[in-house]
Amino acid sequence: MKEELCIGFVGAGGAGVVSIGEMLIQACASEGLSAMATMSFGPQIRGGESSSKVRFSSSYEILSPGDNCDILVAYHLSEYPKFKGELELKDNTIIFIEHDDPMAQNLPFEVKPEMKIFFVPFQKLAKEEAKNPLAANIISLGVISEMLNLPDKGIINVIRRKFKKKGEDIISANLKAFEIGRKFAREGLTTLSDEEKFKYQARKPRLVLTGNDAVAIGAIYAGCNFFAGYPITPSSEVMHFISELLPMFGGKFLQVEDEISAICHCIGNSFAGGRPLTVTSGPGLSLMQEGIGLASMAEIPVVIVDVQRGGPSTGIPTKSEQSDLLPAVFGTHGDTPKVVLAPADVQDCFDVTMEAFYAAEHFQMPAIVLSDQFLGHRYETIDKEKLLSGFKYREGRILPTIEELENYIRYKDTPTGISPMAIPGMEKGMYLASGITHNEKGDPTSLSETHEKMIAKRFRKLQEVRKELNYIRHYGDMDAKVAIVGWGSTKGVIKETVLKLQKEGYKVKGVVPQIIYPPNYKQFDQYVRNTEIFFVFEVSWNQQFAKYLKTYHLPKENQIQTYSIAGGRAIKFKEVYETVKEVLK
Amino acid sequence: MSTNQIRWQDYKSHLHPIWCPGCGHFGVLNGIYQALAKLQLPHHMISFISGIGCSSRIPGYTKTYGFNSIHGRAIPIASGVKIANPDLKVIVATGDGDCMAIGTGHFPHAAKRNVDITVIMMDNGIYGLTKGQTSPTSPLNLKTKSAPFGNPELPLNPILFAMAFNSSFVARSFSGNIPHLTDIIAQAIDHKGFSFVQVLSPCVTYRGKELFSLYKEICKPLPEDYNQEDRISAYKYAEDEETLWIGIFYKKVRETLEERFQKINEIAKKVAPKDKEEILNRYLP
Repeated sequence: MKEELCIGFVGAGGAGVVSIGEMLIQACASEGLSAMATMSFGPQIRGGESSSKVRFSSSYEILSPGDNCDILVAYHLSEYPKFKGELELKDNTIIFIEHDDPMAQNLPFEVKPEMKIFFVPFQKLAKEEAKNPLAANIISLGVISEMLNLPDKGIINVIRRKFKKKGEDIISANLKAFEIGRKFAREGLTTLSDEEKFKYQARKPRLVLTGNDAVAIGAIYAGCNFFAGYPITPSSEVMHFISELLPMFGGKFLQVEDEISAICHCIGNSFAGGRPLTVTSGPGLSLMQEGIGLASMAEIPVVIVDVQRGGPSTGIPTKSEQSDLLPAVFGTHGDTPKVVLAPADVQDCFDVTMEAFYAAEHFQMPAIVLSDQFLGHRYETIDKEKLLSGFKYREGRILPTIEELENYIRYKDTPTGISPMAIPGMEKGMYLASGITHNEKGDPTSLSETHEKMIAKRFRKLQEVRKELNYIRHYGDMDAKVAIVGWGSTKGVIKETVLKLQKEGYKVKGVVPQIIYPPNYKQFDQYVRNTEIFFVFEVSWNQQFAKYLKTYHLPKENQIQTYSIAGGRAIKFKEVYETVKEVLK
Repeated sequence: MSTNQIRWQDYKSHLHPIWCPGCGHFGVLNGIYQALAKLQLPHHMISFISGIGCSSRIPGYTKTYGFNSIHGRAIPIASGVKIANPDLKVIVATGDGDCMAIGTGHFPHAAKRNVDITVIMMDNGIYGLTKGQTSPTSPLNLKTKSAPFGNPELPLNPILFAMAFNSSFVARSFSGNIPHLTDIIAQAIDHKGFSFVQVLSPCVTYRGKELFSLYKEICKPLPEDYNQEDRISAYKYAEDEETLWIGIFYKKVRETLEERFQKINEIAKKVAPKDKEEILNRYLP
């Protein structure tokens, strides 16, 4: 029996492909399985072809979306070629195809001898037995559930929940459709062998969250009380969610005229004591760069989340890339201390967003969270207690004492570089915040000595960041001579590779830093000591992460072997696994 | 008079203005000190925001919570300040370049939101800080460093501009008339909602001293029977090019952004989860 399954769905607009993927991952969550779901769409605003893919297991944690489908359900074969990258087949994939599909005689994929192909009259069953042409997708869920031993209690629970608002009649109609599918499979299709069926153990229900949900929830837990932003794909879901949540907890939400206004609203708000957030994607980050420099120079905390997409310029708005790394680290003009953090999975989107609030507030500088479309839009099942286990609320901002407010010096050159920050409304704290070079009191100056002294003061804070923020994920054997290095969403396939190679008896390790800037030399060195070969995997054609590593961590060029792809797709497990194994052999 | 009375001099900071001798902005700064004293605003409850330009030095010369930010962005920063703490009086010092060129895009939105801030725009029709280039309010044919053959463009009319976006308070004054300026600025700060004041403030270095005498001649207070709530009159008097009318062109109190935020919070609280953990329960299947 199978310990995990990866099921793909594909169809034209209206087939309910996304909806069925969502229902399946919710069914998995309902029975406590570890699961990940990804969706992919055509370019249309509404409707249009789409694919969804759900990978799940109750034996171990699912780390990546899965390279190949164990099962494919095709409502319209004509749409399959558009998603063949997302829905690669195995030699023995079990395929369910709409019986009346015009391409049924001319399949748009290579048929392998071990494949099993079932032609099922989803449409006919929907029209004639369920009396509802829209029920074809639920019928298909019934079919595969019966054939493969899917968590059917979970599916029934999810059907009830999904149609709860529509009333008992609609619920029972859909439950009937599910049963029609199961009955058809029992009576009309050849039974699969036990080895082909799924084996699972039901556990406590889990949450189903996307990375964008987790960012919004993380911000609320971190005490965010103001959001300013401009809609941009693939980040807008954070805006939608937080526009509802913030006012419920007494916060304020503003959709502004552009990203420049967004970052400036946040800077003003923070200057006056707020705890703001803005969320954007690549083009928005470009527009915010001058504001990010201002926040660093005037020492004003501000959190920016960038859900990266394919670039440059408009690029591929709906698909992922890891190419905002260097713009985030070096983007604004001038020598600009800031913090750049990178979540590596959905749970991380929650944790790292909270960490960013603390970092911005405590070190009085901009903190950029680099998520990406791949994290932002994918669903994962997460145990609630585990999600909250990392939660600790930390205020962060250091305010002046009453004594310090007498003859207050806003940018006092302290040993840590952190100077207590007065807030408008505090008596005696008046000062001038500015983007112009200023002295400790905040007075503008063009003296080169003062300029150097104050830059050094601001950069000194990065030492404190290194001391306090401790965030490098590492897997496998730390003595191994071969290390796989990556960042952000490539973590999944890196960890999966390390675990698999270890099982096969190889010595290998994986290192995934979550604090990108400031680079933490000491910590990084500790994990890569004695390493001879570094494999760097990233979704940036120009190898931004490898360049970053060469600058800060791995100066000896010949140590690094890079594997980089342009965005629009994620790096697959087999790409990492096969590349590394080739060298280990 | 109470002994706690704040004198206008008390609003001066320890910094000395870098402006050229005879600059109109000295008059504006003076008017601002007087207006703050007239309103008796406590220093720590004022936040004075600016962008870049000669005018934008003003926050540094006032004893308040000042913020000398980046070019064109004073309005969204000020709006963010006001949202964080509605008890503060939030004032923007800006110029014709900062407000009507690089930062123009923010103006309509602050005006339509009616965020309770006051924008004081010092208008000298030239870029002084960068040493004499054409500004959005430079007159047609004016020869400047960046228009050696004369400005080929018509100037923007800031009053018409502010009216077009439904600013709830629109006024003009002149840096050579301190009592008028003081009164207008005080009224603008006191106004509940987005207020805009264009202050004619000649640049002695790049536009010449003669503008002072010209403005003295052609600036006239709006007629006594002028109706401040009549939008049509505002447009009519603002379009006059022979006489530069000074005073309050338009004033109408309407709901502010802060008031609407309060209403939204009340509605949202009624449907709010009891605590943060309850948010997560929405994500249980």
